[in-house]
Amino acid sequence: MFDFFKKKAKEYEDVIGAPLKGEAVPSAEVNDPTFAEEMLGKGMAIKPSEGKVYAPFDGEVALVFDTKHAISLVSAKGAEVLIHVGLDTVMLKGEHYTTHVETGAAVKKGDLLLEFDMEAIKAAGYDTITPIVICNADDYKDVIRTTGKQVEPGDTVMELDK
Amino acid sequence: MQTFTYVIKDELGIHARPAGLLVKEAKNFASTITLEANGKKGAAKGLMGVMSMGVKQGHEVTVTIEGDDEVAAAEAMKSFFETNL
Repeated sequence: MFDFFKKKAKEYEDVIGAPLKGEAVPSAEVNDPTFAEEMLGKGMAIKPSEGKVYAPFDGEVALVFDTKHAISLVSAKGAEVLIHVGLDTVMLKGEHYTTHVETGAAVKKGDLLLEFDMEAIKAAGYDTITPIVICNADDYKDVIRTTGKQVEPGDTVMELDK
Repeated sequence: MQTFTYVIKDELGIHARPAGLLVKEAKNFASTITLEANGKKGAAKGLMGVMSMGVKQGHEVTVTIEGDDEVAAAEAMKSFFETNL
């Protein structure tokens, strides 16, 4: 009967906030085997409803790809995350993307990192679904994902258990 | 220790997908595998490190392999580069 007092909310090593507004879906729904089979690491994806990418946690920008279509970040606690905006969008060579941060920049959760022209990217024939991958997923016991719903930037989409 | 160099032919360089495949291949071996290119050095088994090197078409990559299975690992890495990059 004292379980109520003993039960503490589980504390996760790290929490990843949604970097975009849209529909959170499992990796398997991504139409690219690199992400669907989680070749780069465990993760999930967001079908964006707005062309803006925000920092998913407090941390550092590890790399802004010079083609601007992807950005990788390291959280203050060491989680390595890749946000890949759209599929095969490396081919656009930066067109329709505007970056707001540089490699090495310190960021706070919710900072605007990148903007992209969703309609122009779709018109060019690309899928704007954005996989979010934990590149060092092997360092964690489990990655708990929240998918199957609409998310706002900052809503928890992944929790990392060490 | 085994070492070889390879000049990247792929127009897009080592972007996310080939970086992921490269790490996967490297993880098949116990040896320590190090890449050096574009003035940077990184472990071939870390995705972030490999992507951060920003290796492009025309860059020369030096691959160094050290460990018990270095001969097999060097063969596999060489064929990986030739096939994918």
